[in-house]
Amino acid sequence: MAELSGHGSPVVKALPAYSARVIDLVVQQLAWVQNPVVVARQLLAGVSNGMLLFLISAGLTLIFGVMRVLNFAHGTLFMVGAFVAASIVALAPQQGAAFAAALLGGAAALALLGAGIEAGILRRIYRAPHELQLLATFALVFILGDAVKLIWGREDHTVAAPAALSGATRALGLTFPTYRLFLIAVGVVVAIALWWMLHRTRWGIFVRAATMDRGMLSALGVNTRRLFTSVFALGAALAGLGGALAAPVVAVGPGLHAQVIIDAFVVVVIGGMGSVVGALVASLLVGIVNAFGILAMPGTAVVLTFALMAIVLIVRPRGLFGAPE
Amino acid sequence: MRGAGGMNRSTVISILSAVALLGVPWVLSEFWTFIAIEVLAFALYAVSFNVLLGYGGMLSFGHAAFFGVGGYAAAILVKSAGLPAGVAFALLPLAAMVVAAAFAAVIGFFSVQRSGIYFAMLTFAFQMLLYTIALKATGLTGGDDGMTGLKPPGLLAQPLYYYYFALALIAPALYLLYRLVSSPFGYTLRALRANPRRVQYIGVDVRAHQLATFVITGAFAGLAGGVFALSTGNVFPGWLNWTASATPIIMAVLGGVQTFLGPALGAAVYVVLEVLISGRTEYWPLAMGVVILLLVLAMPSGLAGLWQRKAAEVAQ
Repeated sequence: MAELSGHGSPVVKALPAYSARVIDLVVQQLAWVQNPVVVARQLLAGVSNGMLLFLISAGLTLIFGVMRVLNFAHGTLFMVGAFVAASIVALAPQQGAAFAAALLGGAAALALLGAGIEAGILRRIYRAPHELQLLATFALVFILGDAVKLIWGREDHTVAAPAALSGATRALGLTFPTYRLFLIAVGVVVAIALWWMLHRTRWGIFVRAATMDRGMLSALGVNTRRLFTSVFALGAALAGLGGALAAPVVAVGPGLHAQVIIDAFVVVVIGGMGSVVGALVASLLVGIVNAFGILAMPGTAVVLTFALMAIVLIVRPRGLFGAPE
Repeated sequence: MRGAGGMNRSTVISILSAVALLGVPWVLSEFWTFIAIEVLAFALYAVSFNVLLGYGGMLSFGHAAFFGVGGYAAAILVKSAGLPAGVAFALLPLAAMVVAAAFAAVIGFFSVQRSGIYFAMLTFAFQMLLYTIALKATGLTGGDDGMTGLKPPGLLAQPLYYYYFALALIAPALYLLYRLVSSPFGYTLRALRANPRRVQYIGVDVRAHQLATFVITGAFAGLAGGVFALSTGNVFPGWLNWTASATPIIMAVLGGVQTFLGPALGAAVYVVLEVLISGRTEYWPLAMGVVILLLVLAMPSGLAGLWQRKAAEVAQ
C-alpha cells in the first residue's frame, strides 16, 4: 500500500514520461491529418466504398421497408454477384465489353435469383413470427454460401478491372485510382435512377405506399404479390451489381459476405430502416468513418461502427431518416 | 380422469428420463458421452433463450453473447487467473454465471428500452461489439486463435465424470428456469408477450421485468457456455460471430417455442444432426440450411408441435 501511494512509487515517477509517450503516439497516429494527399486518398476510398455499401444497403432497406423482413442473406447475394462477375470477366480479361457484361450479368442473374427466392420462400412467411423470417433468411445464407463453394471453390479469385479503368487519373494536382472514381460515378447514377423510380413512376408510388400501409395498398386493388417480388428482385439486383462492381477491389472468396452484411446492417440502422436516402447518407458516413478510422486507430476502427449502431438504436431508434417507430 | 392419468404419465416420464440421463455414459461410447455433454450445454442454452422468446416474446438476436462470455469467463478463470486448478474449477459455474449476468445487465438495460425488431438489432449490435473485442483484445482472449488446451482437473478430464459434473449443474439450472416460468413472475412474463400495455396498466414495471428476465436467462446461457468450453477445451471468437446468433433460435424453433423442454429436444436433434452430417460432408451448413427451410415452411411449431398434433389425433 505504502509503496503504491508514496512519492517513491515507480508508477508515479514514470507517469510524466508515460504521458509524454502517449501524446507522442497520438501525434504520430494523427500526423497524416496535415498531409493533403493522404486525406484526399482516404476520402476517395471512403466515398467509393460508401457507394458500394449503398448499393447493397439500398436493397436491404427497401426490402425491410416494404416486406418488413430483415434479409440476412443480402450480403450473400452481393457475394454471388461478385462470383458471377468473376466468371464473366474470366472469359475475356481486361476487355471493357466483358466487364460491362459482368456488371449487367451480375445484376440480371441476381434479379432472377431474388425473384425466385421471394416467390418460392419468403412469400410464404410474411405473416409468420419474426424468428421464422430470420431463420429463413439465415437458411439462405448457409445454402447460398455453400453453393458458392461448390460452384466456384474455396479459394479467392482476383478480378482485373478493364484496361480503360485501371490507371490513375490526375485532378486538382493529385492522382486518383480511376476505378475508384468510376465506382463513385456508378453510385451516383444508381442513386439518381432509384430516386427517379421511387418518385416519378407508378411502381415507385406503390412501393412508397407499401412502406406506409401494406394492407391499405392491397385493399385498393394493387397486386402486392407482384410488387413484393419486384422489390426483392430489384434489391437483389442492386446487391449483385454491387458485388460485380466490388470484384476488382476485393478478394472474391467465400468469406466476402460476412463483413459486407454487417456493414450493411449498420448502415440501414443508422440511416433508418426503410429509408433509401438514409441508406445513401449512412453509407457515405460509414465508408468515410471506416477509411479514416483505419488510420486513426488501426485494428479497432470496427468497434466504432458497432458502437455507432448501438448508440443510434438507443438514442434515435428510427435512425437519421426512418419513419417513427 | 385426464388429470390423474396425466399425473401418472408425467411421473413415469420424469422417472424414465432421470434414469436415462443418469445411465447415458454407461450405455454410450466415450465419443457419444462427449456429445451428450454438448447436448446438455446446448439444451440449457436453448431453453434459456426460449424463456426470453417463447415466454417473454423478446426475440434476442444476441443471446450468443452470453454463451460466449460464459465460455471466455470460464477459460480465463482456468487458464489465466493463476488460481490452483481445483479452486478455479470449483468457481467456474459461479464465475461464468456472474460475468454473463453482468454483461446481460448492461446490454439488457439498453436493449429492453426497445421492442420487436429494434430489440433484436440492438442485442445483435452488442454481440458484434463483443465479437470485435474478443478478436482484438488478444492479451485477454487470445484474439483470432481463441483459447485452447483448457482442461478440467483430475478425473473430470474424462467425459464419463465430466458428464455427471455437467448434469449436476444443468439439471438444477433447467429446474430453476422451469420454476421461474411457472411462478407469478413467469405468468407476468407471458402476459407481457401477449399485451405489454395492459400489463403496464396493472402496475407492473414492464422494463424492469424484461430486464430481470434478460439477466437471468443471460446468466444461464453463460453457465451453458462455461460448461461447454471446459468440455471441448476451447473457446473461439466465432462463438460470438453473427452466424452464432442463429444457433439458439434454430434449436428453439426446431424443438418448438410453445413448450418448456421443446428447445432442449431441438438442441439434442441439432447437435446429433451436426455430428452425423459434418462427419460425412464438409457441407454441413448447406444441409442445415435445407433443414431450417423445411422446418420454417412445413412445421413452424417444431417437433413439440408435431408431437402435440399427433397426440391430439390419437386422442380423437
